[in-house]
Amino acid sequence: METADLTHHISRRFNEDLEKVRNQVLQMGGFVEQQLHKAITALVDGDSRLGESVATDDYKVNGMEVSIDEECSRILAIRAPAAGDLRVIVAIIKTITDLERIGDEGEKIGYIASRLATMERPVDKYREVKHLGRQVAQMVHDALDAFARMDSQAALKTAREDKMVDEEYESIQRQCITFMMEDPRTIRRALEIMWIVRALERIGDHAKNICEYVIYMVHGKDIRHTSLEDVARQIDAAHALARG
Amino acid sequence: MWTFALARLAGILMLGLCVGVLITPIWLWVLGAACLYLGWQLLSLYRLDRWLRLRSQIDPPNLGGVWGDIVAQVVRLHRRKQFHKQRLVQLFRELRRSTAALPDGVIILSTQREIVWFNRQAARLLGLKRPVDLGLRIDNLIRSPEFVLYLHGDDFAMPLVIRPPVQLELYLALQMVPYGGGQSLLLVRDVTRQMRLEAMRKDFVANASHELRTPLTVISGYLDTLADDSSIDPAWAGPIRDMRAQAQRMNAIIADLLVLSRLESTDGEAPREAVDVPSMLERLQRDALASAAQPRQVLLELQTHDGLFGAAHEIESAFTNLLVNGIKYTPGEGCVKMRWWSDAEGAYFAVIDSGIGIPAEHIPRLTERFYRVDEGRSRGQGGSGLGLAIVKHALQRHGGWLDVQSTEGKGSTFTCHFPAARIWRQTVRAAANA
Repeated sequence: METADLTHHISRRFNEDLEKVRNQVLQMGGFVEQQLHKAITALVDGDSRLGESVATDDYKVNGMEVSIDEECSRILAIRAPAAGDLRVIVAIIKTITDLERIGDEGEKIGYIASRLATMERPVDKYREVKHLGRQVAQMVHDALDAFARMDSQAALKTAREDKMVDEEYESIQRQCITFMMEDPRTIRRALEIMWIVRALERIGDHAKNICEYVIYMVHGKDIRHTSLEDVARQIDAAHALARG
Repeated sequence: MWTFALARLAGILMLGLCVGVLITPIWLWVLGAACLYLGWQLLSLYRLDRWLRLRSQIDPPNLGGVWGDIVAQVVRLHRRKQFHKQRLVQLFRELRRSTAALPDGVIILSTQREIVWFNRQAARLLGLKRPVDLGLRIDNLIRSPEFVLYLHGDDFAMPLVIRPPVQLELYLALQMVPYGGGQSLLLVRDVTRQMRLEAMRKDFVANASHELRTPLTVISGYLDTLADDSSIDPAWAGPIRDMRAQAQRMNAIIADLLVLSRLESTDGEAPREAVDVPSMLERLQRDALASAAQPRQVLLELQTHDGLFGAAHEIESAFTNLLVNGIKYTPGEGCVKMRWWSDAEGAYFAVIDSGIGIPAEHIPRLTERFYRVDEGRSRGQGGSGLGLAIVKHALQRHGGWLDVQSTEGKGSTFTCHFPAARIWRQTVRAAANA
């Protein structure tokens, strides 16, 4: 009787630990999302102070990554989780790396935005960049939602959106090249914009990675470097199995 | 009913006895009759039990005597229970339907801040999904750092306004309402319209002030030239002097309006610059004594050498406004005293005057813009009507508040309260200087 109680106790504590570290990841995600929004707003509104504050706040993201990483190592060392629990921990360790990178890209955007704020602004007020920024922010948001809900279908759907982000990125790139050829005076600004859209495109990739970890966490399938159509088929099969 | 049952048992036993008298042995017949009776009872019991087990599938057994009575009572009880249950379910459904139809979003949270239930509007505003989100922690889905802080704090007096990450053009006011057993309601209201109107109002005030400033500068410039022009008819000297005074007053009002709109438009808390309050107050005292409009006593009582962490110009403008007010409403022979002191809970700055005082009913409204205690009073003194509003906003940005005590005819005391977290302690300062 006593032993049974003990194991129950340990597993409950373990659950609490897992739950806690999962919450920390999502809190870190929330902060990264906010950073990204602020960076894009700083660019669109030409708010150099906001851009600078994004750049200086990035250390918080790094701090969160380190503390979650430590917590994960501690759980691995003490609890030696297996199967699904192990997958959760592995997925968390990978997710925070990507979140930290998203934070870095956000910092970059904020920094460039604060510099661009002092320059002349284009007539379209960075409409395309804003649109791309929104799309990417939505992707990050959906990826984190899928993580919170353990929803592999939503994760797959979000991962697919990365293709659209890539297309948008290329079209802005072409546009910038056209501007530079038409009027060499815009080269400096266009180059800065290229940096920003490049960072946004990278954020899209990181969001896609997070989605892949969600699928790995839920189904135990590593889908990196697999075509998304194959993944969709596999997930559907898994669902059919679960249902049947 | 029970007497009938007893009579029946007695009858059967009697019959057994009678037959036993005719055909021996007696005990066998009596025992046989008793067994027969017991068998019949057991059969009834079995049928009752079977019916209770499979009540939904078979009809109640047709039993006689006491058993029939029991069956009837069970049926009655069951019907009554069913009726109450249905009524409860109906009530519950209606309640849910009405909450679901509320124009505001409603989320029920457990003690662990997990989502127990939410209505359609909450789902729409926050992008929640049913049924996957039931049981998830709310801060896993609404991850905005301000909200997480609000959720885990304990100050739910005011709603928190956030911009949801899904629909950036919206502003949502979220308010926690804790109720019995550690559960809480989270109310979600769309305040986009109010926020837009508020922003428009702020922009309008700021823009209008800016626009008024330019023409006014031109007017005052010409008035200055006219005042110095000796070729003008001396009869105009009076009117020109008045016009200059009024133009200056208008300039002061616009300057105050701009200060106020800047205070309003800067979001959040004031920065934490180290401000040396005692030397600032000494300077204010010197300035007040130097502007010899109405010479009178201006005293300064420094009870501490603590400073503040805050925005120096905002603190100075708040203190100046209070001091100027005090001087303005104190007749020539009166005295105005400034006091600066601190304790474990906070730091305090007070301006105590022996002036005309303020009637009690006006005190709560003093910090409203352009609020006049009586029509003649402030205008005659050339105030902008914005001083106390500036004080209030400046204090709010530092987490502080203004307290006003006044007795009509005896004088008033305006006290600024600053939280302990903003105090730059003397001991810390001494260490920094050493």
